[in-house]
Amino acid sequence: MMRRRVDRLGRIALQAAYTCQGDAPPRPMVFASRYGDMGRSVELLEQLAEASPLSPTSFSLSVHNAIGALYSIARGDLTAQSAVAAGAETVEAAFVEACGLLSEGAPEVLVVVYDEPRPAPFAHFPEQVSLPHAWACSLRPAGDGATYRLTCGASTGAPERAPGDTLPEELSVLRFLVSGDARFEHHTGSRLWRWHRDS
Amino acid sequence: MQALEQEIKKLVIETLNLEDLKPEDIDPAAPLFVEGLGLDSIDALELGLALQKAYGVALASDSKENRRHFASVRALADFVSAHRKS
Repeated sequence: MMRRRVDRLGRIALQAAYTCQGDAPPRPMVFASRYGDMGRSVELLEQLAEASPLSPTSFSLSVHNAIGALYSIARGDLTAQSAVAAGAETVEAAFVEACGLLSEGAPEVLVVVYDEPRPAPFAHFPEQVSLPHAWACSLRPAGDGATYRLTCGASTGAPERAPGDTLPEELSVLRFLVSGDARFEHHTGSRLWRWHRDS
Repeated sequence: MQALEQEIKKLVIETLNLEDLKPEDIDPAAPLFVEGLGLDSIDALELGLALQKAYGVALASDSKENRRHFASVRALADFVSAHRKS
């Protein structure tokens, strides 16, 4: 009965979470979305502007942690969760948060990343999301197999993109993680995030 | 009254996005909450708002009264026909 309350963004995020977690036992989760379920906030603002009563359902689901909360309710899962938004650095912020949880002793952390294009009247602002997307991955403390490092420093300006590279920027970290590449540099304003894969 | 029940069934389905249900699937005498359709407290608020918009009926904050009005589609139809302004 809960599915009917969830819009497209929530559905793709939850699908990613369910697929990644499978039957594995509960573990701490980080839900990360740059813009979140902005459509709900727009709907509520429109209702406010018309001085009409606000939809209780939209109100209850307009907070940034609502999608994670639904996951938790649907699974009866009381494990810790956080909801992260950090502009163009949202994925990095989610991984930093996950590393914090790992260093506090969590054996594994599930990171769920999801976004969709901002609705009108916010669609025309820069750094629009190109397409609805959601992905999830499970992080464990370094052990056997490939390990990753993430460092942050000052950016001296983003390099030109390789010609013919049409992948939306918001998917660039995912591409790095699945590519097997040794490194990836993500310039976000004045900061440079360096992703390393040590095989 | 049957027409109003039918109308309210449609309102319930549309308002609460009960995408797998058709009006004829809802028994007008069956409980709407917990049992029956299995609706919850947020649904009750949402439905109250929809009834207010559609029929101009105001729901009191008295929860005992509301529990009676929201018992089933039939009870809602009785309540709406007694108090409707539009």
